[in-house]
Amino acid sequence: MDFSVVNQALSSKSFHKMADICDALMLQSAAEGVPFRHEWPFVLHLLAHIYVDDVNSARFLWKSIPATIKESQPELVAAWKIGQKLWTRDYAGVYEAIRGFDWTQQTQLLVAAFSELYTTRMFALLQSAYSTISIQDAAQFLGMNEEDATNYVLQQGWTVDPTSRMLTVTKQAIVKEQKLDPGKLQRLTEYVFHLEH
Amino acid sequence: MEALVTQIQGLSGTASDVLSLQNLLKQADDSLHAESTRLPPFLDQLDPSKHSLGYLYFLEACTAGPVTQEQASSFLLTIARFISSCVAEQIRLAPDKFICVCKRFKDQVLLLEEPLRGVAPMLTAIRKLQLSSEHLTALHPEFLLLCLLSKCYKTALSILEEDIFEVDQPRDLFLFCYYGGMISIGQKQFRKALELLHNVVTAPMSTVNAIAVEAFKKYILVSLIHHGQFPTNLPKYASSGAQRNLKNLCQPYVELASSYSNGKIADLETYVEANKDKFESDNNLGLVKQAVSSMYKRNIQRLTQTYLTLSLQDIANRVQLNSPKEAEMHVLQMIKDGEIYATINQKDGMVRFLEDPEQYKTCEMIERIDSSIQRLMTVSKKLNVMDELMSCDPLYLAKAGRERQRFDFDDFDNVPQRYNI
Repeated sequence: MDFSVVNQALSSKSFHKMADICDALMLQSAAEGVPFRHEWPFVLHLLAHIYVDDVNSARFLWKSIPATIKESQPELVAAWKIGQKLWTRDYAGVYEAIRGFDWTQQTQLLVAAFSELYTTRMFALLQSAYSTISIQDAAQFLGMNEEDATNYVLQQGWTVDPTSRMLTVTKQAIVKEQKLDPGKLQRLTEYVFHLEH
Repeated sequence: MEALVTQIQGLSGTASDVLSLQNLLKQADDSLHAESTRLPPFLDQLDPSKHSLGYLYFLEACTAGPVTQEQASSFLLTIARFISSCVAEQIRLAPDKFICVCKRFKDQVLLLEEPLRGVAPMLTAIRKLQLSSEHLTALHPEFLLLCLLSKCYKTALSILEEDIFEVDQPRDLFLFCYYGGMISIGQKQFRKALELLHNVVTAPMSTVNAIAVEAFKKYILVSLIHHGQFPTNLPKYASSGAQRNLKNLCQPYVELASSYSNGKIADLETYVEANKDKFESDNNLGLVKQAVSSMYKRNIQRLTQTYLTLSLQDIANRVQLNSPKEAEMHVLQMIKDGEIYATINQKDGMVRFLEDPEQYKTCEMIERIDSSIQRLMTVSKKLNVMDELMSCDPLYLAKAGRERQRFDFDDFDNVPQRYNI
């Protein structure tokens, strides 16, 4: 089977495109009636869905994989563990699942990219949801030990109170575009015309 | 047979040739069916990408009979290749035959228990058959069914995004919206699911059908999950049959909804446990459980209406969670999903509820409003066109003429009661 499209996406680091590429290729192969499942890179496919935060599709893919393949590929089971942790919202557990397996070289690329992305997402979540949070909890959410976590958030502008072991969140002011362009005037004219008739 | 094949090869060039070919094929149809076992070798002499119409007639006749196990796989391959290479304009001349072949394809795929195999071909078939992306064909529900069975929910979403304005058969719409609702539920897009299921239960129907009943059950549950409430009555534009009968046919679900509205999670869980078998036999138990867990969300959301700040312990007590930590996790999840605006203060163990920070001043928001207005304008124009067409319709005019008699003599326009064309 020709997996060059998938490999290319992997090597060019277009991880966010991989899920769609894998889906399309799978449908095409199935339509040709070729028995493709024993060769299929389910690990990459599953992780590709997880990468774009589509845990639903990852779940459905997992359900459709035959039991024999699940039993013969421990890496696949390990990859699903990450998905499981995401599904049950065990935020800290995701990191354990990421670190709890010795990934193959190809998979390691995708897992590492996801790990970074996940940490960034978790940080953004903490920033939006907490005004103060304990160092211990922050460390769990970010998948780091307490010292690394503290340094990480301090770099982002938070403050720390060492006595109470509490971090205070500083939100970055996000400036959103508010300028209008003249094309909108045309649109407004269309609306008024429509309403008048 | 050989003569027919030569004619197909000769008359597949221009559009007018194809039309005369169609007449010949229609006349030969019976004899094709009579000789169906002899046909397969002739198929090889035809090119599906050039002689699509002729190939279709032959293919439909070939596949009319029972298919053996050995033939099944090559049969599927032939049809799949035909679908991908056929010329859309030609097969649209014989839509019923095309639909027939595709349905047999789906049946065979299901018999072999390989629904995944049919997904891509069926999607291609839809694109070739439909006159525009607004046209719902008989193949749409078949496609969704294959997606459901093969768990390719994401692929189905692209079809569900399109706005439908034309429908061939009512049954297609019922099934399409029902399956579409199920797919949306699977992808946790509850707003879309509600919209689709709403279409099923409010569609015109002279008698209540089984699809509408099943859709209504899911409709109640999705309503609870998405809105936290279920409207006791269907809107006025739903058929009278639906308004009278649907609730009676879905008793356990209606009772679940009223238990939900009392806000007590323990009572709700007891009710679900007691009626577990009914929900399970409807394959709705998973959805019921999602509805139950959505109650925690509802109750927390209700708190934002009364309090500015609340301790995590208080939230846990009021919402009947086991610990402040659980309450914190629930609130965190709701913040993540955008269902609540709040910040958690771990130092004091408090949650502060905030106002929606959206000020509707950004370019992004303007784009959203713009595109909504554009869509509304398109729908409005379409409605105008439909209205004009309908006011020329003889059936409508006859009915309007009959009803106008109830008005005053002065209002009486000369609308004829019977309209002879």
